[in-house]
Amino acid sequence: MTALLTIQKLSITLQDNVVLSELDLSLNKGEILGLVGASGCGKTTLLNAIAGFSKPSHGKIVIDKLILSDNNSCVPAENRQVGMIFQDYALFPHLTVQENIAFGISKLSKAEQKKQIDDLLTILKLEEYSDSYIHQLSGGQQQRVAIARALAPKPKLLLLDEPFSNIDARLRNELMVEIRQLLKQFDMTAIFVTHNKDEVFTFADKMAVMAQGKLLQFDAPSVICQQPNSYQVADFLQLGSWLPCQLDATGAQSLLGRLDVDIRSIEQKNFAYLLVKPAQLLLDPEVAENHKANAQVDYISVTEQGYHYYLSSLESEVTAQALSFNKLSLYSDRVLSLKQQVSVSIKAHDFLFFQK
Amino acid sequence: MIALYNSKTWKLSSYIIALVLTVPVLVMLVGGISASTQLFSHLWQTVLPTYLENTLLLAFLVVLLALIFGVFSAAIITQTNLIFKKQLRWLLLLPLAMPAYLVAYLYTDLFDYAGPVQRSLRSWFGWQAPSDYWFFDIRTLPGAALMLALVLFPYIYMLTRGAFEQQDQNLIRASRLLGLTAKQSFFKVALPLARPAIAVAASLVLMETLADFATVQYFAVNTLTTAIYDTWLGYGDLGAANALASVLMLLVLFVVLAEQRSRAGLRHQSARPNLSRELIQLSFSQQIIGSIFCWALVIFGFLLPLTLLIVMAVQYSDVAQLSVLMSTGVNSLKISVIAATVAVLIALSLGLYQRLHSDKYRQFPLQISGFGYAIPGTVLAMAMLSTLGPLDHWLNDIVEFLGFAPPGLILSGSLFAIIFALVVRFSAIANGTIISGIKQIPQSLDYAPASLGVNLTGSLTKVHLPILMPAILVAWLLVFVEAMKELPAVLLLRPFNFETLSSQIYQLISDEMLEQGALGAILIVLFGLLPIVLLNKSKEKV
Repeated sequence: MTALLTIQKLSITLQDNVVLSELDLSLNKGEILGLVGASGCGKTTLLNAIAGFSKPSHGKIVIDKLILSDNNSCVPAENRQVGMIFQDYALFPHLTVQENIAFGISKLSKAEQKKQIDDLLTILKLEEYSDSYIHQLSGGQQQRVAIARALAPKPKLLLLDEPFSNIDARLRNELMVEIRQLLKQFDMTAIFVTHNKDEVFTFADKMAVMAQGKLLQFDAPSVICQQPNSYQVADFLQLGSWLPCQLDATGAQSLLGRLDVDIRSIEQKNFAYLLVKPAQLLLDPEVAENHKANAQVDYISVTEQGYHYYLSSLESEVTAQALSFNKLSLYSDRVLSLKQQVSVSIKAHDFLFFQK
Repeated sequence: MIALYNSKTWKLSSYIIALVLTVPVLVMLVGGISASTQLFSHLWQTVLPTYLENTLLLAFLVVLLALIFGVFSAAIITQTNLIFKKQLRWLLLLPLAMPAYLVAYLYTDLFDYAGPVQRSLRSWFGWQAPSDYWFFDIRTLPGAALMLALVLFPYIYMLTRGAFEQQDQNLIRASRLLGLTAKQSFFKVALPLARPAIAVAASLVLMETLADFATVQYFAVNTLTTAIYDTWLGYGDLGAANALASVLMLLVLFVVLAEQRSRAGLRHQSARPNLSRELIQLSFSQQIIGSIFCWALVIFGFLLPLTLLIVMAVQYSDVAQLSVLMSTGVNSLKISVIAATVAVLIALSLGLYQRLHSDKYRQFPLQISGFGYAIPGTVLAMAMLSTLGPLDHWLNDIVEFLGFAPPGLILSGSLFAIIFALVVRFSAIANGTIISGIKQIPQSLDYAPASLGVNLTGSLTKVHLPILMPAILVAWLLVFVEAMKELPAVLLLRPFNFETLSSQIYQLISDEMLEQGALGAILIVLFGLLPIVLLNKSKEKV
């Protein structure tokens, strides 16, 4: 399968700030890509560059073998066949739902326009609103109009800028499933921007994590979830908590005990952080002679999966300061009290170590 | 996001428009400042000190009176339970529609020795001669100041009222919780917070006063504006008139700078204005005093002069008057329609340029095109004459050199000059209205058409212009009305035998024959009401 969208060494500098640097990306037809990153990481700029609203300093953007932008030329936004769904939807307030949808297909004959509009109205369950004005619609309906309007000109690529940020949290999941099915039905290639990883896990086939204008990792969401490639990625996506470890020839030493690690599999550094996912931290039975307390409870909150505790290392520990930890997440049904000293241990698994 | 378009023609034309609007005043300033020191020292030794003194004294008195009228009425309306305050709230804006020179004329008529008031007083008390009693003389500098303050105070009333109403009510609530009474929290919190708005309003009044020509001319108070007029039309001395105009221009610039500084303070005003406020409860006697104060302003600033005009119109109107009214009215319409249309087109072009063009300095043409709002009509007229006059001569020389008959003063001696002046003077109004309309369009609507494959032309005609239609109409109407009312620039620049509504009324006032133009005067007042209604409506919406 050839890539529908290819981005090569894309860099953008705005007012002497490097917003994107040397970014490479490619996407196959029909795939949905979720772009995540903290605000200011450049994800919206990347979207704008693909749409033609931001001019790259250098690099190349190709869609369907057509060069949209390289060092010499830049196709204007209106000729790119790239559709966009804006964060505030950007629906035209002076036009009806029908007229909004017709906006991008005015070159078609009236009959063709009508057929296409009717089809979209049906698919998006908007038939009864075709003559309504935008302010008469609810937020969810407005979003559907925005989708219909963007799909009408049959774009090769659809961009969605934080599409779910204005939607009530309770409805969000349902809506994401619905829209994903719709995009799949149209075999639409799409990129959407969000700062919420859960949206990516629900909505996307591919995931790209960005920070400070760079692409940190680009893969299927499940792969990134299991194999984050850096401290930054795991930390941003909050895949677990961090336990400092001292590495040596035979394994790793932490304040929660010694871990048997195949040292060849990790880089030869002597200090690293172990990614501890909730399922990998075990609370030892309370009364046991060989289980000396090694952590204390700092903070307690209640979740639907039981109690969530933040643990930190004990201060009296003689070991090096560098190995002390805090905010280690523990989920358990057992009731613990604040400042209570407990004993925890790490379950053996494919340990993931990272340098900060 | 970056702006979308980078058309070179658009860029070039925007800069040219801005430049053309600016050049005349620059030419005049350069001419005035580089005028011979001899001329200045001559002016300084003869008339300039008196003119300056009168101008400054007048300005001081008008601002003082307008502050008293405007701040008190705004405070009473927003902070107390005065009866009829719902009606007074908008009635107090009406005097803004009344040109000061009309009020001046009507009150002179009413309160003069030969006027009805003094006549009846004499007959009641059996007085025979002026020496038998004292009565205030209205045709003096303080009289002129009172006339101007009576019609200009609504600026202060409007902005101060707005400031009080926009104030964060939590601040007032906080001061009440800290132990202040309603009255104390008004003086210690609300009034100090409104200070920047009051300062802005006061500088608007100051600018209007410096620009006034007809009132002071009618009262024979020699100020810089009347001096410019007399020096040019009376003595034909362009150099001296230019020099005086430059002095006035510098005064105005000073006020503009002061205004900008106080505007910076306006940013502190903030949200949550809609929380209910606790009103100061007036006692019976306070109710009476408050009512007299507010109603007196409405009556003397608007209702009485309008009634006098209507009485005059009913008594003296005839067919001959109507035909004069028709022809001057058509002239007024002609220049106002053209000026409003041109000003709106320029505002649209520059406003959209600022919004959509990729030029790094895209706000620049709009900014400099709007500076003319502060320039008095007389000064602007001098600027036109000193720029277009030489341009005309130069054109004539070229045409003659090419072997054709010289066309005459096609720029300075035609409607072109008037319209040009009106556009320069009122562009700021159109700009302001259009820009606030543009600002209400979400940025994403600029990008949406392109994402749907529609180009700039399509985007402008199908999205921006339709959405801006209400703003365009309002801007057009505001400029239209201001152009209808403008007097000094028209007086100085009109071609021979060309009379507009306002110049006609001014002539009749000078000849003490306003009766013959009462209908036209009523028309001007009615036109003046339009923007007030519009402004009030948009304020209500907010």
